[in-house]
Amino acid sequence: MQTVKMVISGAVNAGKTEFIKTISEIEVVSTERRATDDTRLIKKETTVAMDFGRIAISDDLVLHLFGTPGQKRFDFMWEILAEGMLGLVILVDSTRPETFRETNRIIDFFVSYRDTPYVIAANKQDRPNAWSPEELRLALRQPPHIKVLPCTATDRESVKNVLLELLYVIQERSED
Amino acid sequence: MALVGNIRDFSLSDFLSLVDRGYKTGALHLSYNDQTARLYFEKGKLLLAARRPEDEKPDLLVRLGVLNAEQVAQACQTLAARGNGTTLSQVIIDTGLASPDRLQQALLGHTEQSVYGLFAWPEGDFLFEHNQRPAPDAPLAPTPISIDHLIMEGVRRIDEWERIRDRIPSTDLVPRFLAPPGEKLKGMRLAPDEWKVFARINGRDTLAEIAQKTGLSDFDVCRAVYGFLTAGMLELVKRQRVLAAGMPPVEQPRLKKSLVNRIINRIRSM
Repeated sequence: MQTVKMVISGAVNAGKTEFIKTISEIEVVSTERRATDDTRLIKKETTVAMDFGRIAISDDLVLHLFGTPGQKRFDFMWEILAEGMLGLVILVDSTRPETFRETNRIIDFFVSYRDTPYVIAANKQDRPNAWSPEELRLALRQPPHIKVLPCTATDRESVKNVLLELLYVIQERSED
Repeated sequence: MALVGNIRDFSLSDFLSLVDRGYKTGALHLSYNDQTARLYFEKGKLLLAARRPEDEKPDLLVRLGVLNAEQVAQACQTLAARGNGTTLSQVIIDTGLASPDRLQQALLGHTEQSVYGLFAWPEGDFLFEHNQRPAPDAPLAPTPISIDHLIMEGVRRIDEWERIRDRIPSTDLVPRFLAPPGEKLKGMRLAPDEWKVFARINGRDTLAEIAQKTGLSDFDVCRAVYGFLTAGMLELVKRQRVLAAGMPPVEQPRLKKSLVNRIINRIRSM
């Protein structure tokens, strides 16, 4: 059985857990705990280790989805999760510009030492005052070739679209 | 849809940079305690900065000593007669009440001072309304103002490492120009120390080495580089990446196209 891995990252409350829940075929293994620090101002529970979801591609191939913990003190987990990943989805809460700096830090962590294929998902596009994908591209200083995609993590079609767009990037780099 | 946030989290320099690179047209409304301000942009350039409502009225030109009250009234009358599509500044220039240079200089100075004052705000809500334009009788700079040097001015006022570390986490990073900086540089007025840093950026030296070679402190070098970054002139890369001539130090696993296609087909069918 071959397994391949994709990582879903982003700042606290960007929607990582929801994103994986929406597409995973198994009930997501989540290590959510009651938030004990500043995070509790944003959400009652937060992912302290990681989320894990799975999609069976065929009898001999499985796609694993890992959500990274958003809080800074769990940075050490990122390195572990990043090892051998196929690609990366960076989720951004499009309604909270206060998380853009943290998002840039996460992108920098994952991308600067690896030539990681990644896309940015501008989550919560269904909310009022959501920054558009193009505005997020400017705010996050992403070059034109990086895909910044509209996303609603609770909507299956939207999540599928983000994963497919990432897969197209991976496809371009894959061997015949 | 309006863009909303707080300049505590997304600084005014960052926002100006976004407007500049996105060629945005619209009005930026700012409020902090009992103070308010409004900045109008046209295709990424600044038309007007008003720290109070009177700054958007023709009488501003009297306060700035460009025209007297009678001339302003005359210009407003002509503007009303001409109808839509004309600006007060055009009327003033066309009727010879003031030269374009005189008008530009006065409004440029006023606008710059207005924006500089905003950089002192530690926080403040912002709201950017796309395509909101100033009233026809607003005293607009005849030539829209490039905001690159305003961004640099904002950065000069940063006196905390914390803010700079958000984007420059280490002095071991190497600044590298994204493109030949010629055109961008025209709109900027660099201070002598910034020139020193600028001249030392070669895509090989780290920030720490630039500090050593220029005799400037790490903070001063990083602040200047922060400004160049905010103006979209350069990027920071890790030395390892530079030495590897663009090749990634950690190879990603290469997959067979057929395997990727299988995953794509499966996701499509879900």
